[in-house]
Amino acid sequence: MNVIEGLKQFFRFGSPQPTLPFSVLFKKFRSVLERNNCILELMADMGDKLGGDYVFDRQYVVDISERVSDLVFKLISDLCVMNQCENVDLFIAFERINYEIQEELAGRRAFPLTRPAILLDELNSDLDDEAGNKFANLGDIRNTLGMPTMDGFVITTKAFFDFMSANGLPGYIEHSLAAWDKKDERAFDAICHEVRQRILKGTIPRHIVSNINAMLDILKARGNGGPLVFAVRSSAWGEDSEYSFAGQYESVLNVTRKGIPDAYRRVIAGTYAAEAWRYRLHRGYQESETAMAVGCQLMAEAEVSGAMYTYAPLPQQREAMVISAAWGLGPAVVGGEAESDTFILDRHPPHMVLSAETGHKVTKLVMDPSGGTVWVDVAGPLQDKPCLPEEYIQRLAQAAMMIESYYKHPQDVEWAFDGKGNLYILQSRPLNVRPNQPEDHRLNIEQATRSAQVLFSGKGSVVQGGVASGKVYVANEDDDLNDFPYGAILVAHYTSPKYSRVMRKARGILTDIGSPTGHMATLAREYRVPTVVNTGVATKVLKTGDEVTLDASQNVLYEGTIRELTQFEITQGEVFEESYEYRLLRRLFKKVSLLHLFDPSSEDFKASRCRTFHDITRFIHEKAVEKLIDLSENFQKYHDRTPKRLESVLPLGLMIIDVENGTSALPEAKTLKVDQIVSPPMKAFLEGLSESGMWETDPVSVDLGSFMSSFTRTFSSSLATPEKVGRNLAVISKEYMNLHLRLGYHFNILDAYIGDVLNDNYIYFRFLGGVSDFIRRSRRARFIAEVLERHDFLVEVHGDLIVGRLKKLPKERMVAKMKVLGGLVGYTRQLDVSMTSDAQVEFHLAEFMQRIQTITEVSHDVPMCELRTKD
Amino acid sequence: MSPCANCAPKTKILILDDEPIVGKRLKPAFQKAGYEVETFTDSASAMARVEEQVFDIVITDLKMEGTDGMHFLARVKELAPDTGVIVITGFATPESAKESFRKGAYDFVAKPFKLSDIVDTVRKLEERRRGGAG
Repeated sequence: MNVIEGLKQFFRFGSPQPTLPFSVLFKKFRSVLERNNCILELMADMGDKLGGDYVFDRQYVVDISERVSDLVFKLISDLCVMNQCENVDLFIAFERINYEIQEELAGRRAFPLTRPAILLDELNSDLDDEAGNKFANLGDIRNTLGMPTMDGFVITTKAFFDFMSANGLPGYIEHSLAAWDKKDERAFDAICHEVRQRILKGTIPRHIVSNINAMLDILKARGNGGPLVFAVRSSAWGEDSEYSFAGQYESVLNVTRKGIPDAYRRVIAGTYAAEAWRYRLHRGYQESETAMAVGCQLMAEAEVSGAMYTYAPLPQQREAMVISAAWGLGPAVVGGEAESDTFILDRHPPHMVLSAETGHKVTKLVMDPSGGTVWVDVAGPLQDKPCLPEEYIQRLAQAAMMIESYYKHPQDVEWAFDGKGNLYILQSRPLNVRPNQPEDHRLNIEQATRSAQVLFSGKGSVVQGGVASGKVYVANEDDDLNDFPYGAILVAHYTSPKYSRVMRKARGILTDIGSPTGHMATLAREYRVPTVVNTGVATKVLKTGDEVTLDASQNVLYEGTIRELTQFEITQGEVFEESYEYRLLRRLFKKVSLLHLFDPSSEDFKASRCRTFHDITRFIHEKAVEKLIDLSENFQKYHDRTPKRLESVLPLGLMIIDVENGTSALPEAKTLKVDQIVSPPMKAFLEGLSESGMWETDPVSVDLGSFMSSFTRTFSSSLATPEKVGRNLAVISKEYMNLHLRLGYHFNILDAYIGDVLNDNYIYFRFLGGVSDFIRRSRRARFIAEVLERHDFLVEVHGDLIVGRLKKLPKERMVAKMKVLGGLVGYTRQLDVSMTSDAQVEFHLAEFMQRIQTITEVSHDVPMCELRTKD
Repeated sequence: MSPCANCAPKTKILILDDEPIVGKRLKPAFQKAGYEVETFTDSASAMARVEEQVFDIVITDLKMEGTDGMHFLARVKELAPDTGVIVITGFATPESAKESFRKGAYDFVAKPFKLSDIVDTVRKLEERRRGGAG
């Protein structure tokens, strides 16, 4: 007996003896699996609704939250019976998550971040209440779209409220406004002046100052040791949203560390500049709706900067965008304080320059070494030279269009290039344009869509809504995608995580086969690339170079470019992704579906660390499996069935418990032959394992580096030598199989029901691998996920853990899928050591698909079923 | 496509749902498909509108504050028996479906539904109305 086995034996003394018969405990285990599956289905359903294919309302959000929460509660109760324990930590975690969900549903934002300052790295548009619209958007651009922005942080609206209260300002403002007769403009100006003076002289509370200093220290540590200089900018509630407040609030440029508190007060004071305040009053803003976050960003050493409208508000120019550019810092262009260059470009790739007008640029705004900004002369030869070369224009156009397609709305982008040619996005706000009169517009759209040739419609599942026009690019299976053209529409046979490479270049994606919950789908949603999967026909109908327009909101593909449709899409009043219901669902989806507990061997894998319902579900599943194995290995005298050892050529070490007519062996028999197995899933799985010839018998040379890395992880169920096969267990019946199979480093769980009633059939497959370094593990995960997706499984990948689910196919097809899993389990047994490069993934994929095909062919007469049947 | 396709009057659709998101999503989808659309979130204004104007198609929620959808459906059919009515609801039960059909609804759709499905349903209804008319 080795040390680990000895330890295991020792700790087993602690396990309580079961007080319930095995059959009852096993029933609870099945209930855990069923609920687990239902919860995953509901999560997938929420994900689907975020895709834009569905019309849902608040009621849906309320209902689905209730259903998930109910299932999770019952799941915990099931575990309580199984492990005969109160599981207090799980119930507490459950109540905490449930409370957060209820608060969201009641319309009270649960502010998870109430710090006075937040790094730009942590921001996205979900945090617009904390960071203001401008910097929340910039967070999307930096963190979601991965575009270059200057590093920085934002002093939150929470800090604003604290600052204002600490200086007695809310009360003062309230009294002054109440005393004002709403007519005397000079009196109003006087109020503004007094409020601003009080702000400029105000004390910044200590906790805000220390938070700002902490942020500055982080930025300093990231820098190259030189002095840091900042642009300090406003980011108010509502600024850069529907009402633009453009240019009404203050920015302070070239601010040193020491100057930040004063610059902060100046920007806050700008909130009460007479113009801005009047504008708010005019628009019906309440005083309680006024909050100013302040962003502090490192200054770009701008050589050229300017602004760009992705949709030129020029009546004579249809479908054009416009760039204004000048030497030096941005305000020269934005404020219209000096002459600049103007470039008008085609909105459609390759964004040809339609016209260029070069201004006579005699002065430019630059950083003053002693702080602030200063105007200096432009060197003679540069005065009449266009300040943007063609290559810069292209990069700028592509970046701006990416932001526009993300927000589905024309954008006003401020940008800068430094001396090394690096592009930085400084900010982006929605541009209010109406390219056509509304009436004409509707007429156009109707004409356009009615007269356009429909290539196909209503096929497959919409992953992400939106409209995209462009040239088709059909990707072959072994395509490295190096030549994927910017602005093309990707067409592929299968969905694949490898397409994440072109996600930022592609305008839209269409596939023949694939799941709306897979890897690629998640990314397409993240980047908001209009995507439809599982169309069945995309590669048959389309070829590279075809011009098409994809309306993924309506799920229609048209021949040719339909400009009216793209126009219509980006000029709609409210973008679905920005609607309250969408945002609510997305926030709840995160509380339900994000998974933080990946690794059962990690110290964090415990009940108290569960932050979402998915964490709880995952935790319980793991514990229930452990318990079941423990029960079957250690409490055999409580079993009402004799476990039978499977005699097989393959060294599986498999014990089988037949609960009901799963084998033709005698009830008291202690061994079992393969041909005595009746249970269709078990039979098919073993056939797949042996017939495919995928059980590698050749000794694989052990890669020491890979092997050693396993010791950096703590002991877990996945740790064993490659030769060693654990004691494995299957519980089967006439139609059912539940299998735990530990082979070398891998731990597989299969739960399946295959009978004559199509609607009852399902397969649940879970793969957890150990050992190997991170890169090989992720290659292995990619390989397994692709095999499963290509066989119509709904796939989820979380680190090492891969879950594949399949439902409601006819018996013959389910049997074929079980054989695939048999082959897959055999094939992956020692795969890690050969996953030395990305090319290996493709190689193994091709190899596996070819080998598995011969044993899993199903007659074409057997009907295919939808990927997922909607109830 | 006949050259005068745009001269023909457009099919008029009224949408009533007390959750604004439903109208907001449906309106552009139907506009794209060439329909004229009006949306309402309170049944009183929708009721007033159908009293003064005949719509070809009405899409209504069932459970709302004020006048409920069933009542609205009945009134629409009373005013204009030709109007095709599609009921959309988040609380679909066999009883409410049966009742809707008895009151003359053309179809009964459970929320959430796919945009493309509801547009298809409207197209079918339109074809049937055209077939019935001549």
